[in-house]
Amino acid sequence: MNVNKLFGLTRSVSFGRNVFATRVAQKGDCVHHFRSRRFIRSSARSLTYAKDLFLGKVNKAEVFPFPEISKEELEELNQLVQPVEKFFNEDVDSKKIDHEAVIPPETLNGLKELGLFGIQVPEEYGGLGLSNTMYARLGEITSLDGAIAVTLAAHQAIGLKGILIAGNDAQKAKYLPKLATGEHIAAFCLTEPGSGSDAASIQTRATLTEDGKHFLLNGTKFWISNGGWADIMTVFARTEVVDKDGEKKDKITAFIVERAFGGVTSGKPEDKLGIRGSNTCEVTFEDTKVPVENVIGEVGGGFKVAMNILNNGRFSMGSAGAGMIKRLIELTSEYAGTRKQFNRSLSEFGMIQDKFATMALNAFVMESMAYLTAGMMDRPGVPDCSLEAAMVKVFSSEGSWICVSEALQVLGGLGFTKNYPYERYLRDCRILQIFEGTNEILRMYIALTGMQYAGKILTGKIKEMKKGNVGVVFEILGKKLKDSVVKTVDFGLTGKDGVVHPSLTESAKMFEQNAAHFGSTVESLLYRYGKTIVEEQLVLKKVADVLINLYAMTAVLSRTSRSISIGLRNHDHEVLLTNTFCKDAHFKNNFLLTQLQKNSPENNDANIKKIAQEVIAKRAYVCSHPLDRTF
Amino acid sequence: MNAPRHLLRIQCIGCVACFLGKPVKRLVLPARAHLQTPGSQHNYGQLLRPFHHSAVCSTSRPSQTQLENTADDETLNKGKSLVTHDDLFERAARDSKTKADFNRVVDVFSKKDIRRRGHVEFIYAALKKMPEFGVEQDITVYNKLLDVFPKEVFVPRNFIQRMFNHYPRQQECGVQLLEQMENYGLMPNVETKVLLAQIFGEKSHPMRKYQRIMYWFPKFKHANPFPVPHVLPSDPVELARFSLTRIADDLDAKITIYQYPSTDITETGEEVMRPHIVGIQSPDQRSLLAKHNPRKPVFVEGPFPLWLRKTCVHYYLLRADPIPPEEKVEEEFDPEMIGPEQSLFYPQRVELDLERDMGDDFSFIVDDVEEGPVYAMCMAGQGDQATLSQWISGLQETCPILGQIPTVFRLDSGPRELQTSSGAQQTPEQEVETEQIIEEEPLLSQRVKQ
Repeated sequence: MNVNKLFGLTRSVSFGRNVFATRVAQKGDCVHHFRSRRFIRSSARSLTYAKDLFLGKVNKAEVFPFPEISKEELEELNQLVQPVEKFFNEDVDSKKIDHEAVIPPETLNGLKELGLFGIQVPEEYGGLGLSNTMYARLGEITSLDGAIAVTLAAHQAIGLKGILIAGNDAQKAKYLPKLATGEHIAAFCLTEPGSGSDAASIQTRATLTEDGKHFLLNGTKFWISNGGWADIMTVFARTEVVDKDGEKKDKITAFIVERAFGGVTSGKPEDKLGIRGSNTCEVTFEDTKVPVENVIGEVGGGFKVAMNILNNGRFSMGSAGAGMIKRLIELTSEYAGTRKQFNRSLSEFGMIQDKFATMALNAFVMESMAYLTAGMMDRPGVPDCSLEAAMVKVFSSEGSWICVSEALQVLGGLGFTKNYPYERYLRDCRILQIFEGTNEILRMYIALTGMQYAGKILTGKIKEMKKGNVGVVFEILGKKLKDSVVKTVDFGLTGKDGVVHPSLTESAKMFEQNAAHFGSTVESLLYRYGKTIVEEQLVLKKVADVLINLYAMTAVLSRTSRSISIGLRNHDHEVLLTNTFCKDAHFKNNFLLTQLQKNSPENNDANIKKIAQEVIAKRAYVCSHPLDRTF
Repeated sequence: MNAPRHLLRIQCIGCVACFLGKPVKRLVLPARAHLQTPGSQHNYGQLLRPFHHSAVCSTSRPSQTQLENTADDETLNKGKSLVTHDDLFERAARDSKTKADFNRVVDVFSKKDIRRRGHVEFIYAALKKMPEFGVEQDITVYNKLLDVFPKEVFVPRNFIQRMFNHYPRQQECGVQLLEQMENYGLMPNVETKVLLAQIFGEKSHPMRKYQRIMYWFPKFKHANPFPVPHVLPSDPVELARFSLTRIADDLDAKITIYQYPSTDITETGEEVMRPHIVGIQSPDQRSLLAKHNPRKPVFVEGPFPLWLRKTCVHYYLLRADPIPPEEKVEEEFDPEMIGPEQSLFYPQRVELDLERDMGDDFSFIVDDVEEGPVYAMCMAGQGDQATLSQWISGLQETCPILGQIPTVFRLDSGPRELQTSSGAQQTPEQEVETEQIIEEEPLLSQRVKQ
């Protein structure tokens, strides 16, 4: 037995000890939490769910029970939903919007009348004042038309969010009322020609005028949704800031810029693959005079503002995707039920059934994740949900793409034509994987943030192990032996004081097993790569995928437990979906975690890298043609 | 043990003798038949080898003068019995040495004697003379030479002949021929194979050699990831373009032709030759040059040789001394932007006090020798300072900073010693260079421009 293996063992053992300790601690916490929920509501929470999974901890208090809204809120919401649904079914001609690449003014007016431009703006400023959860619910309906959904999201999920979360009262009073009614439309100007996803390289500059009352804004912003018609823009620019050492430094500042300030020009709208009705263009600022009052937050504090805006905007993609898939299921199941092939209806074929199951599963998981996250964000305090929101975004954007593609496949050739809406849905939902942070970048973010969090806590322990402290090693080894005899992982999800319904015990066990394994894998990855983990993108991708699966499992377990407990309609179907999904995710996780082991034969990363390097070095497909000869 | 072996040997000899009788007779008959037919070479080929046409034989019809020459040779041969085959080639091509001449000599030899007496010596001589005639890369000529061997005579007819080295001299000669092809990197073709089968049989040594060549050659054909074409472009600008892209290991590097070669006639009637100047620079090099400290000089150095098969070309570099460590400016990033706490996109680094584990560190220990940056490369028709200054001023259009940087020309006296080794295949470029650079001082002739 080599030394490395020994270390491997010791690592996982020590992990086991940790889990045990935290579990005990958590149980206490949990009870406390439930008993004194009211009190906790008023204080800031420091608990995090996803980050703690990296330590192999399951903070079940964070995710169980599944968040609810009050009865009054639900009634209010239903009153809102009905007219919106009616409007989208009757008055929105998505085909025309897509074809003419513009949303007709009467449609926009309809949206404004419904108050959809100010869903989250507080009522005192003329908005609907809805919570994140309720916003997510409305997102399900608005997503029926991609262009409208993106226009609305650009307006309120990112465009005016800056004023909403970081603006002062004067700014709120000045801008929010008109934005909430849709009289003014907002846009979010961060991306620049040279930067793309790399927001750090912002070149737009704001210089203070000599009287100190204005900033002069100069620069160009790219891919600005609503850029052509926005009246109010949240613009991020570099400003010179003198830091505490007296040194001058460039820092990013957020500004509220009105088009009326002058010097703002918009380019030609981009001709896009999907969401064609939305307006995306370049916006140029040329000596735009912005009063100092229009700085959001502090001068030089724009970075945090941008971060918060984007972190909070992503979760709604889950419900939007689910809304779209639910509609697609209705459309395609009708076709599959009526269309006869070989004297049988299409829905009788196993492979077609498979597609419907995929769609239902994805919609179910997306919905669960989105509302769980929205619920977490709606809790008082400053929620640390950026990881969760990013996971919802990644999962739902990819799930939507698969589901739309499967729906189209059910119709075969018909789905490929413009007579049916599937091709439009397919084009529209492709953007989900790209905007608000591409999925690749979000995966990196998810994995690295967790790694950093876990690393800070585990560094001391890992260093001790690396030193080869014999005492520590033997202690850990003994624990490991004891653990292997008992060989059960128990986070207290099931059993006597369990939070998961007994009919989901098997799925919950699978989740616990994966969560424990994930924790030990993270530890071994930190042991192996240390801070150079940043360069291991393929490893991080797998880490992120496992975490996303774990979070999705949590969401469905939590949701279904609630559904069974309160006896929601068709909860038996939810049980079925949950068990199916958990089993599937369990196997996927097992495979991914196996790949993450050292010297794993399942891991193809080295080869994948090599292939890519050879191809990129040539900038072409490398192989010779199969018909080529040498003599 | 010994007794049976002796017995066997005796038997073998008997067998050989026995077998030898027949083939010899059989072979004589067709040969006689040929003597009687007054047909041309063409006919001969058809009769003996219905499926094989030696292209050279059938196409090249001897002209009037050639025929005379041939006759001449034949009379000479009759007169002097001791004529080496080398002489045959020498005499055949006193004034010109071309493929046609070579073929003619081979034809003469083939026609002269139906028994092809002395063909092995002839082939050896021919192989030696091939480079002189410039046909060492020509597969048809090799096939034609092979065709000199009489057919079917050396094919073993029984297991004993097959067991022993049948007609070793001839086989060796055949192998030698193939070896020469191999040395010149020439791949045999189907015709070669057919000829070898006819001459030596399917399992002879030359056939084995052929098979080995055919096994290895295709495998090695693409072993060089940076192949050089057999025929290089004749236009010096094109050649420079090819060579520069070959040196610059960057697909983004852009070729700029600063000056096309041309000849102007001045008012005084003097011919002024304007040499070509072709440069290459990648975007990375350009940005490096833009960051160059204007107080430090840049150097134009050269010429450096680049071999393309047998051709040698020369290039010049624009480079600088390595930046001393104390002057290096590390690009500073805002820690907020790339630090672990940023969630705008993703953290570019994590703040952990943990290094990569030794068991997972597969990087090699590489001692990096720091070298100065190379900013651009060029090839020019002339290696003098005036021409290269033109290149530098051309570069200034994209890198204006170059105007402020002192430029030092450190030009070597030129590629004289290299020129000799490059031999016959010298490019026009070199000739020009050698003429021009002589006036430069032998060692670094430094002068600061500006």
